[in-house]
Amino acid sequence: MGLLDYVTAHSLDEDYAQAAGKRAGAGGEQPRGTRRRVPTLVALAVFGGLVATAGVQTARTEPVRQSSRESLVAQVEDRREELAETRQQIDVLEGAVEEARGQLRETTRVGRALNEQLETLGLLSGTEPATGPGLRIVVDDSDDAADTRQVVLDTDLQRLVNGLWVSGAEAVAINGQRLTSLSSIRVAGDAITVNLQSLTRPYVIEALGDPDQLAARFIDSEGGTWWLNLKAVYDLQFSMSSEESLTLPAAPTPTLRHAHRPGADS
Amino acid sequence: MIGALGLALGVVLGLLLQPDVPFWLQPYLPIAVVAALDAVFGALRAFLDGIFDDKVFVVSFISNVLIAALIVYLGDQLGVGGQLSTGVIVVLGIRIFSNVAAIRRHLFHA
Repeated sequence: MGLLDYVTAHSLDEDYAQAAGKRAGAGGEQPRGTRRRVPTLVALAVFGGLVATAGVQTARTEPVRQSSRESLVAQVEDRREELAETRQQIDVLEGAVEEARGQLRETTRVGRALNEQLETLGLLSGTEPATGPGLRIVVDDSDDAADTRQVVLDTDLQRLVNGLWVSGAEAVAINGQRLTSLSSIRVAGDAITVNLQSLTRPYVIEALGDPDQLAARFIDSEGGTWWLNLKAVYDLQFSMSSEESLTLPAAPTPTLRHAHRPGADS
Repeated sequence: MIGALGLALGVVLGLLLQPDVPFWLQPYLPIAVVAALDAVFGALRAFLDGIFDDKVFVVSFISNVLIAALIVYLGDQLGVGGQLSTGVIVVLGIRIFSNVAAIRRHLFHA
């Protein structure tokens, strides 16, 4: 604090006081002619000039700064567009590659067998879109959800989906998110996420399978009884309908971590 | 009176001529302005205190501007120009504030 105190206390140059003291010592006022005022005038004029010049300088560089900022923003936007276009191109090319691969396999007998195998495996693993008859279940929080116990939890959805698998569902998706062996259903913040995508209510669960058997088996399964219970006790919304044709999208392709040639030892 | 005249003259001259500041001088201009501002407020306070002296004002004005520019120049050469400018601005700022406070006391008796 000493330094600050010093600066504040000596904010006025001591020379003024000394000069005044000398003047008083020399006896009375010194002659204050106009000539003596000239340096002050010049110094103040210089000060005014400095201020004006600095202001003009700043004002002059401001548009340059502004325009360079704008051009940067434009560049960022351009690059983003480019990136989006490139990504789209990647998608298109990947599709083409996949198609070409399929066609190539189609040309040989072994390849055709492989294609069929791939399709079956893809349906089961969720990497291929699936279409067929099935069951659509719509669940939602209670209409007058005053209590946190009256909202759908991640564990409720987990039980429901597990019930569907047990009942013989071939493919399951929640709000268009296909479930695979690597999918997770869990709460993150206020929302339930599936495949790391957060869902919005209501939750629509679609399952492919024999519609008659699937519905009956599901009601009998653990998940089914759990949900009938939730509906009765906590007034959660639950409705089930059989559909002639449902289309489930493919799950996001997992990263390939390990591969080996069929038949080769690994 | 003569002070206001000189000030107006300088501002008008600066605006009319719009002198081009050489590039190497540009970083020192704002610091010089702040240092000059300190000298001017000091002079105003001295004037109100009744101890104003032309010679002291001119000398303090010139030395303030030169020393402030010199410190920043030195800092630039040493690679601590930004920090030294901050230091100079802080000290000059404190001086300006306390001088203005004294001026305010003189003018409004508050």
